[in-house]
Amino acid sequence: MDPKMDSGIERSGYYSIEEAIEDGIAPVPLSLDRTLDIQRTLDVIDHLFSCEATWHKGHTLAQTVFTCIYLMKMERISSHAVLNSFCRILRATCNAVVAVVSTARTHEEEDLFTMSFGLPLKDEGDDKCLSVLNSVEETVSRQLRACKSHALSKRKTLEGLESLQDNPDVEEGYCRALLCRLRFRKHFHHVVTCLRRPHGRGLDLARKHVASCLSELSLMLKSQEFLKSQSNITLQQGDESCTTASGCRPFGFDVSLNSRLMSAAPPRAVKILTWSDALGYFEKLLRDLDVICSLSLDPVLENVLHFIAQFQKSVPDLVPRAFLQTLLVQDGKLYGRDLFCDVISRALSLPDIIGDKEFQMNEFVVQLGQLVINLLKILCTNTAWQRRKLGKSLQDWSTISIQLELALKREFGETRNVLDHENMCMRVSKQLLVWTQEQTYWVASRFLILGFELDLYSPSEYCMVYWYMHVVFIKLIEKMQLRILASNENGSARRKGKKKKDHSKDSARDAAFSSSCLLLQCYVLLSEGLSMLLAVLRNEGKSFLLPTIFNTEQERFLQHFDLLQKARIPEHITYYSFKESAAQAHMADVMKYNFFKEIQKIIPSLKGSFASEPEKLAELRQIEQVAEHNRIALNIINSVGVGDPSLRVSFEFTHHPHFAVAVVKRS
Amino acid sequence: MSAAVMPAAAPTERVESSSGEAEIAYVSYGGEQHLPLVMSLVDAELSEPYSIFTYRYFVYLWPQLTFLIHRKAFDAKEGKCVGTVVCKMGEHRGAFRGYIAMLVVLKAYRGRGIATELVTRSIRVMMESGCEEVTLEAEVTNKGALALYGRLGFIRAKRLYRYYLNGVDAFRLKLLFPRLDLGLPPMMMGDERDDQLIDSPYL
Repeated sequence: MDPKMDSGIERSGYYSIEEAIEDGIAPVPLSLDRTLDIQRTLDVIDHLFSCEATWHKGHTLAQTVFTCIYLMKMERISSHAVLNSFCRILRATCNAVVAVVSTARTHEEEDLFTMSFGLPLKDEGDDKCLSVLNSVEETVSRQLRACKSHALSKRKTLEGLESLQDNPDVEEGYCRALLCRLRFRKHFHHVVTCLRRPHGRGLDLARKHVASCLSELSLMLKSQEFLKSQSNITLQQGDESCTTASGCRPFGFDVSLNSRLMSAAPPRAVKILTWSDALGYFEKLLRDLDVICSLSLDPVLENVLHFIAQFQKSVPDLVPRAFLQTLLVQDGKLYGRDLFCDVISRALSLPDIIGDKEFQMNEFVVQLGQLVINLLKILCTNTAWQRRKLGKSLQDWSTISIQLELALKREFGETRNVLDHENMCMRVSKQLLVWTQEQTYWVASRFLILGFELDLYSPSEYCMVYWYMHVVFIKLIEKMQLRILASNENGSARRKGKKKKDHSKDSARDAAFSSSCLLLQCYVLLSEGLSMLLAVLRNEGKSFLLPTIFNTEQERFLQHFDLLQKARIPEHITYYSFKESAAQAHMADVMKYNFFKEIQKIIPSLKGSFASEPEKLAELRQIEQVAEHNRIALNIINSVGVGDPSLRVSFEFTHHPHFAVAVVKRS
Repeated sequence: MSAAVMPAAAPTERVESSSGEAEIAYVSYGGEQHLPLVMSLVDAELSEPYSIFTYRYFVYLWPQLTFLIHRKAFDAKEGKCVGTVVCKMGEHRGAFRGYIAMLVVLKAYRGRGIATELVTRSIRVMMESGCEEVTLEAEVTNKGALALYGRLGFIRAKRLYRYYLNGVDAFRLKLLFPRLDLGLPPMMMGDERDDQLIDSPYL
């Protein structure tokens, strides 16, 4: 790219890698002094670690990991056992991670991540990278043992040719520093490999390697003190910019060489994460991967959706999200194992039709299977992207609902005298319709609540948002209950001759359903309560008014709920429905219905139902706090008088990410 | 600025500032002589790098949407450009849409409603030109811009992950102008409109 296009482009002055190498930028060995050589090797390793973390955060390989000349020209370092083995396994791991993210094909803004054209990302010898690393690891490990026994016997010279460097006093420190870095690479490579082969014990093994990675990371951190003490203090960078444990700038890197080779990359040099930030990144990455390893490969769709929603709360980065997505959807099947038509039939509580060919081939079931695949993939993307895609998918869900409804009417009409087989078909179709509608409302509710997480609503819009949310939650409960009713009807038809253990399974499932409905009921009450409170504050307190210079509240309503309105989710809901509802909100009614108090009645029984689910319990506690604070705020506002000019009410998300708490102040 | 109705934009308008010492003049983009003023302001104050080709694209094709603010000190021979707005408009996915590309006011002149006035002028031109909506992107951390546009009726339509080169997210802000084709009988439309507390001279 022509430098005139961007004044921020850095230029190193080298026009090619060869020129840089000739100028001595990346010497092999890194020094003829063996101590300096291992120091500099460790600096290269650390800087590559920081580059790798920076790459993961959403940059190109060309501007991060592959700014390393040693990596770009690996044939030069074949004589340097440590650097060679390290670079080889790093490259193989990067290649594997690129493959996973490419497969996930999230098309998020991080398309930069997978760009590798022109980079030597793969080589024939890379499949042996583990054995190459193992032999180096073994050598260094033996050396470390030797050091320890030397220390005991107080010998002053190092025997054997396998020492890292020539100063016996510091050999142990360097061995330790190198060993944990090599082992981290090894275990991380195993994590990546095992996660790609989850069946059998894949996830368990991955989890073990994750634990090993974490312990090697803490050893890496421990080594910092030693490495800093050994390096030249005048060469050390400040903490805020150092990308190595020693604090020294590494040899062998050039940020701009690749920008000439690859015109597609954005031209500016990327700010590489500091070494300590990189440690922090990898720690988080490993913890997120650990959560993924705890996936029980549960075939129940509702639980899968819940797992993903819960996982997203920790704001995982691209790499763990890509891993989750590729785990969930492989070869068009759930976990690469279950056909989605079977997943749907299980969700309908119709075990008899699992494997039924007619059901599998049904055009609606096929389409719904595809919608579920898309939904799972969308739910694994970053929340900003996710919300946009969820919104767009609402039309697809709505369309298929309408088509199902029409097909039902067409085929079965209102006739009551139907044959057994037709009766079964009708029941299946009805259940499919109800289930589809339920998923549609689930998607709609997630679309709305993500708006809070992304900070898309301003306080003057909370009223309409909570109003729409309560409407959607009510419909969701309705569809859920219809599904439970239908599945119970099925259950009673099958129950003749069923064994006792199946009964208890049914009742356990019913209990789970009813507690899900109760939780949703809490959401309804919170949304409705907040919406009415905000409406009252506007009607009677003249606060939270919307500006009306270029447009009105109607335009803002249309914009926020455009996708829902177009998909008719729900039907017959318009801006005027909201306007009328809000206009009729008065303090007396809010006090009378006291939604927040109603929640406090429901919570105790829910706590019992969720006793074995710590995440749900945690959310219940949050809801409890929100209800209590709002109940008190409501009382204060009522007693002071909502029109009192000294009253200042603001809304904060201090207890729950989606449900605000009213904070009342008097000025 | 006060809520008083502004007359139709003349090429140059003089407005008394509150101190009465210096004049602030609003100028519509007049030609190449204004380009360096716009560029130096934007380069100095905004985080994204733009090339000269970017500036020319906007100001050549939509000069009527670029406004500058001059400060003329009485004892100075030359004025100083203290703020500017650069925009465009055109067809986008079947809708005629205005786009605010850059908005800058020098730090020392902020907090006086200058930015609001600049933006308002551009939006008015867009509205009169037949735009259905106006859009722009702003950093999620730019509280000042978000408040300014929020007060004018923009909503945060989308969040764009890592939109800027520095890795910061952006909001896509959108302002939808009222449409008359809402499918309601005119009588009802009239009633609804009267109910709205529209205090804008622009509608």
